[in-house]
Amino acid sequence: MSTGGATQNRVIKAKDKVAPALVHVSPVKEVFRRGQRREVSVTGSGFIISADGYVVTNEHVAGENDYVRCVLFNKEEVEAEVVGTDPYTDIAVLKLKLDEGHADLPFVDLGTSFDLVAGETVMAMGSPHGLSRSVSLGIVSVTDRNLESMGSTGAPYNNWIQTDAAINPGNSGGPLVNVKGEVIGINTRKLSGADNVGFAIPIDIARGVVDQIIATGHVARSTIGIAFQEMTRLTDDPTVDGVLIGDVDPLMPAYKAGIRPGDVLLTIGGTSTNARFTEDLPPIRKLVADLPIGNEVILKVRRRDQTAEVPIMTVAKSESRGEQTEFSEWGFTVSELTDATIRRAQLRSGEGVMVSGTRQGELAAFADIRAGDIILSLDKDPVSNLEDFGVKYKQRVSSGQKLTLVTIKRGALTMYRIVKNEKNETEE
Amino acid sequence: MHKYITAIVLGLVSTLVTAQEIEQKIYQKTTDDFMPAICKVNYAMEIRNNQSGEMTRRNATAIGLIVSESGIVMTHGHMHLDNRKPLSIKIKIGSGDDEKEYEAVALKKPDDVNIFFLQIESDDEDEKFPYLTFKADETSKIGEPLLSVGLLGPALDYEPGIQAHRIGAIIDDPRLTYCLDRPISFGYIGGPAINQAGDIVGVLGFELTSAEGGDIYTRSGQPMMFQTDLFKKYIDTPPSKESLNGDSDDAWLGVFTQPLTEDFAEYWDLPNEGGVIVSTVIAGSPAQRSGLKSGDVIMSFNERRVTAKQPQDINAFTKMVRESPLEEPLPLKLYREGKPVDIALTLTKRPKAGKDANEFEDKIFGITARELTTDVRIGLNLADDVEGVIIRAVKSGSPAAVGRLRPNFIVMQFGGHEVKNLEDFQAAVDAVSKEKPEEITVFCRVGANTAFFRMQPRWND
Repeated sequence: MSTGGATQNRVIKAKDKVAPALVHVSPVKEVFRRGQRREVSVTGSGFIISADGYVVTNEHVAGENDYVRCVLFNKEEVEAEVVGTDPYTDIAVLKLKLDEGHADLPFVDLGTSFDLVAGETVMAMGSPHGLSRSVSLGIVSVTDRNLESMGSTGAPYNNWIQTDAAINPGNSGGPLVNVKGEVIGINTRKLSGADNVGFAIPIDIARGVVDQIIATGHVARSTIGIAFQEMTRLTDDPTVDGVLIGDVDPLMPAYKAGIRPGDVLLTIGGTSTNARFTEDLPPIRKLVADLPIGNEVILKVRRRDQTAEVPIMTVAKSESRGEQTEFSEWGFTVSELTDATIRRAQLRSGEGVMVSGTRQGELAAFADIRAGDIILSLDKDPVSNLEDFGVKYKQRVSSGQKLTLVTIKRGALTMYRIVKNEKNETEE
Repeated sequence: MHKYITAIVLGLVSTLVTAQEIEQKIYQKTTDDFMPAICKVNYAMEIRNNQSGEMTRRNATAIGLIVSESGIVMTHGHMHLDNRKPLSIKIKIGSGDDEKEYEAVALKKPDDVNIFFLQIESDDEDEKFPYLTFKADETSKIGEPLLSVGLLGPALDYEPGIQAHRIGAIIDDPRLTYCLDRPISFGYIGGPAINQAGDIVGVLGFELTSAEGGDIYTRSGQPMMFQTDLFKKYIDTPPSKESLNGDSDDAWLGVFTQPLTEDFAEYWDLPNEGGVIVSTVIAGSPAQRSGLKSGDVIMSFNERRVTAKQPQDINAFTKMVRESPLEEPLPLKLYREGKPVDIALTLTKRPKAGKDANEFEDKIFGITARELTTDVRIGLNLADDVEGVIIRAVKSGSPAAVGRLRPNFIVMQFGGHEVKNLEDFQAAVDAVSKEKPEEITVFCRVGANTAFFRMQPRWND
């Protein structure tokens, strides 16, 4: 990209403004794979947003329970704790553990993303492939890219800033910066197999998430159990307003209030909800998510030619990924059920836990318990959640019980499995 | 003394000669007695690509065994699978100048064995065909030699050939499946297996009988011989030719089961003599109506002991159920919560399987849809109240394909019309075709969720 002298000066100025607040992030992450908890080290990018050391990065760089080592722009090494994470937006907030009396840290200016225009010059800064302090230059290609039609389901609450500034693995969590030296996005992903198609989380989305994580350690969201679809699924007619309700979760409040697929939502809590295209869906989902949990909200809904106002009580939305624990005696990992896994497994209630992986050659695998199985009970004693499973499991392991009956659900089928503790047999 | 030794040596030689003679005799018998009743089945195969809905045709040849005087021909089941159907079937009997060609029609494919029956249509209604008789109740031993007849490849004009095998392993009981000691080529699938006594005791193939549940075929890749008893009922009473897609006559219980292994017996403190654990009871099945519950352990069924201890033993139970009488109460002994319970249970006909389901191909939107069958409902984990039709194929470039409809979606509404079954779908397609709207909304179940799709047909084309 050729730039005139004036532009070049502005770019260098902008870079110099942000660079001191860049952080090279190398966490040791907890991952659960094939029935085992493992630790892996990864590298990514981040940026300091306050003088006392709050750092923003991606959730896929630093997850919960990680040990995070950070290298600052002046090559100073500092350990950080994970303040909180939000997998729905792929954002994590870290806090650098600074020695008492440490000098104030340089931090970035957060800009705005709602006023971005395609063609605007931007820079991606961070550690591509671990090469820290790197800068790449490009423009905003599209301000509101929606990746759902490409089969991506990871980011329900935001569209993406698409840029041709080179983004590579390791850039994740780093800032996308405008020529004023303001952070306008968080570089997060790229289209594999394509050149110069990178995506950043708009800073307007990130700001609210970061603020909530700093204040409470996590992001609370509401749900009523509705999946929205763009109106063009029904008609091309631009005069038809509202957003299509494509799916209603039968275990959720909207279903209990009589909302059904095919209904069109016109307003929620008095705010109108119009979505002609997929790009219009994330703001509506965010509108629902930002409602206070456990409060009544009025939905104005159109069914055929009639409209009705329906009061609905919101409930807390579950985490996007269930918490996982390894149970080494049986050689498997088990995860908390989420709204999505409950729906996918077509469970009649939210009771149970899901097997997330098994280790070959260990007891669970021997009993033909597989990843994806839902554990409903141990010895016919129902299991309600991960904590409950942990208690019931420990009782059986510590008492040396030889045989345990595990009732599982696999697809439409109920199955019985016997976990046989051979070790105790040989000890007897 | 010297004479004595000579006599022994002569005796040995004559034994060897005799063994060879027996073998040659069977080759001769096979050629003389069996070959006239072995025919070539030529047919065109219509194969559908379920992703694009495109049909391709291929010519194929298989070995056929004439099993009745009236011209019932038994051949392998690969002719008629979920996505392939045989067309214009011709049967050639004899060879050289004596070769005669006949038309043939397909009979309904049996559910529990992967074989297929054809009826020869002769101009002479009274024509009597040479036919093979299978030896029943003949068990084979490991290492026992067998001859088999199959068709040589296309380069050799599909002429029949004879191969020698031995039994390499015995798989299960009472299904009686034997592994052969060496590979067979495709032309031998469906061919007869002849033992040392010159009797036809089995049929060759890779997957000629179905595994538990009747829908999943074993895919070991190991060539097998299947005992003739498995096919006897179809030879005695050939399937009807009225329709390829009829209901099954087999009895149905409607459960998924597991064997009562030693561990389960120990856990529940039951005698370690085998049994069948009911794991899943299918909604609306005879089992559910009779009050059978998940966790029940069946010890006897219609006054016959159930002794399954290993997964493969379940086949005996499945067979027992299939062959039980319909519409009359059968006594059942089971353990429920550790206590013996007697119940009476009335079986019904096995519901249609997905592969036998009726289909409707709409020519306007590009959707081939199929009625929802019990096996598909279970496979997709559909709730009992889900009604609709399942998309089998979407023609590439069609309005449905452009509208992002895909195979395995369940259509529940079509252009504002409720779709509960195939008739509804057909009626909806007819109605919409007449209305010719610019936009058609289709409401589907996709996995566990629901969603709307929009089609814009090009009515003017």
